[in-house]
Amino acid sequence: MSNEVKKKSPPDPNSAKFKLGKIATDAYVDAQAAKDRGEMVGWCSSNFPVEIPETLGLAVCYPENQAAGIAARGGGERLCNISEDDGYSNDICAYARINLAYAKIKDTPEQNMPEPDFLLCCNNICNCMIKWYENLAKDLNIPMIIIDIPFNPDYEVSDAQVAYVKAQFMEAIKQLEELTGKKWTEEKFKEVMEYSGRTSRAWLAATSEAKHTPSPFNGFDLLNHMAVMVTARGKKEAAEAMEVLHKEYLENVETGNSTFRAEEKHRIMFEGIACWPYLRATSTGLKSRGINMVTTIYADAFGFIYDDFDGMVKAYCNVPNAMNLEHARDKRVKLIKDNHVEGLLVHTNRSCKLWSGFMAEMSRQISEECDIPHVAFDGDQADPRNFSEAQYETRVQGLTEIMESKKGGC
Amino acid sequence: MSGLKESLQTFHKIASSPKEQLKKYLAQDKKVVLCAPVYTPEEIVHAMGMIPMGTWGADVEIKEAKTYFPAFICSVMQSILELGIRGEFAGASAIIIPSLCDSLKCLGENWKSSVENIPFIPMVYPQNRKADFGKAFTKAGYERVIADLEKATGQSFYDAKLTASIATYNEHNAVMRQLSDCLNDYPEVTAADRNAIFQSAFYMEKSEHTTLVKDLIGELTKAEKTANQKIKIVTTGILVDAADLLKILDDNDMQIVADNVASESRQYQVDAKPAETGLDSLAGKFADMDNCSVLFNVDKAIAEHTVDLVAKYQAKGVIFVMTKFCDPEEFDYVMIKKVCEEKNIPLLLVEIDRQMTNYEQVRTAVETFREILR
Ligand code: SF4
Ligand code: SF4
Repeated sequence: MSNEVKKKSPPDPNSAKFKLGKIATDAYVDAQAAKDRGEMVGWCSSNFPVEIPETLGLAVCYPENQAAGIAARGGGERLCNISEDDGYSNDICAYARINLAYAKIKDTPEQNMPEPDFLLCCNNICNCMIKWYENLAKDLNIPMIIIDIPFNPDYEVSDAQVAYVKAQFMEAIKQLEELTGKKWTEEKFKEVMEYSGRTSRAWLAATSEAKHTPSPFNGFDLLNHMAVMVTARGKKEAAEAMEVLHKEYLENVETGNSTFRAEEKHRIMFEGIACWPYLRATSTGLKSRGINMVTTIYADAFGFIYDDFDGMVKAYCNVPNAMNLEHARDKRVKLIKDNHVEGLLVHTNRSCKLWSGFMAEMSRQISEECDIPHVAFDGDQADPRNFSEAQYETRVQGLTEIMESKKGGC
Repeated sequence: MSGLKESLQTFHKIASSPKEQLKKYLAQDKKVVLCAPVYTPEEIVHAMGMIPMGTWGADVEIKEAKTYFPAFICSVMQSILELGIRGEFAGASAIIIPSLCDSLKCLGENWKSSVENIPFIPMVYPQNRKADFGKAFTKAGYERVIADLEKATGQSFYDAKLTASIATYNEHNAVMRQLSDCLNDYPEVTAADRNAIFQSAFYMEKSEHTTLVKDLIGELTKAEKTANQKIKIVTTGILVDAADLLKILDDNDMQIVADNVASESRQYQVDAKPAETGLDSLAGKFADMDNCSVLFNVDKAIAEHTVDLVAKYQAKGVIFVMTKFCDPEEFDYVMIKKVCEEKNIPLLLVEIDRQMTNYEQVRTAVETFREILR
């Protein structure tokens, strides 16, 4: 039985939550400040190597992050509609639809970000990204720098792929130096690499505390904190904040506390991106049944640990959506076993073809290997029209019943 | 004239019976390798003495594939997997699947556990394909395909043979371009006929197809030219092979004078140029490929290409045939629409998928479009 951790208002400025929240907000403020100073600002896809803009000292914003924020605050449908009026199909990833709309209207009450002077695109999470950024580049008439990291059908990354991707890293750095006048230095890169390593190690350590029963945290925390992992990994503040997070989780383990504010009856893994417009509904549906989502692939995905440039290149070839089924499956199996997971809840995300396109088979293989049940529900990370609370409830209830019966509770 | 009719019938027959073609080649003791869309290196399969057979799915009910793909994956992928699971490709030695869109990446992953006895051979293409490092990566991808093919089929690869196969394919490209142009003078050749000519190319050894197309061109030039009252249009999309759709175009007197359709002219735009080795030549061909929704192009050249086709062939309008759930095309549609609007070119969007049975809406839309174009 876990005790509730009650430290609501006022937020403790020394808490990880506060620090991480501040880093996320500051990203927008800093980018706007850079823009106001007359510096060039970029828009950057989430798994583009942050080390590049960070080392060059370039301010960038993350459209996926903004889209998630807009969707969580209720603006998803409004912005999707704007893109759809321009001819974009509602089958297209809602992050893209929201961002393409934002690029046009340039102002929302939910979350603004400065207009871009260049685009940094990396397709290691999906090829949809290329199409989306091509259209942005054409509409806004700004340069697009692309690092193409193809989906790897093999378990290991081939030498040919490393050589291809590395050549593009070099090319991207050169293009950015010419475009912005900023310079790449080995010294600065080393520093960024060290912070990124520190942040990643702390994140992996923090998320792995879910191995304790009860888990010292509610897995929904990870969905929120992940923004910092994606965008600010190479910053000193991020490393420090993640270390605080780990410390807090360790303390919770010692004191028997948790940020999961209910009795932890069941432990599941959540697969997919959060349904941002229904964060409350999806989390309450679990909490009310005593289900703690103790881990997600994010817990593993953002641990970028490497020792040199080549290692960094390889790490970016090994992100979840770039891996073949077997590799992706084994990573999840490990998380499930390490964290004593009893069920798998899969978000079949209407926006994300790659993430959902072979998830059914992967779920079956995971279920079998770990001997746990899995259920899937239909949803969307940002378009509220593609989620049904009733269906979600039914599926979660179904999962709960199987987990209970497996425990001999029926 | 009867020669022309017969010739067209031959194309229809082949286009409508890929399974018969597969059986025919197997009965000749030939090995057959399936080639999923797009830009699959057929030349390599050909050079290894095997029959590359294109598969773009079929208009079948999706049952088995549903347990693998969610409903929002395009019907091209769904139906290829469905056919595979049902055993429709039995006897084929392997399938090569390039990973140029997110759905294609998933097809390969699902294929592995759902289709027995037909190994999946991935072809990983670069998007940064024009630079030297891109070409090197393409070449490495081809080398991997060769190694997998050797393993799956026991056949061997020789670069000199590839050079010969490339010549065969270049000739086929040229003949297909010539045919498309030639058809413009013969409005009696319907949209359905035109499609059958293109489609049949996937199910035949390429030099056989070249011969058939050359014969057809010969028949055409013998035939008398009739006054052309049809409405000239350009089509663009991934696949325009639905019989109902083609019939609607024909019923409405529409003549496809040029296309940028992936399963039609898009693949024949570029020839492989001579290079140090056959493989380099082939990698160069992929680097030169363009005007396609699954190939990175920051200038969105596909949009200009569409309006260029309209100008070159004096078409009245463009029909964008959208394969439902095809996100690469869905993004490009918006850019094509914009350019068409700027140039005052009428554009009709028609959304289809392989499971569609009711084409009434499409019919109405095409009828209305015809009135605009007249
Ligand atoms: S949600 Fe999926 S399709 Fe959309 S940007 Fe992310 S990875 Fe790509
Ligand atoms: S390009 Fe479009 S039609 Fe082709 S497989 Fe991809 S999504 Fe399907």
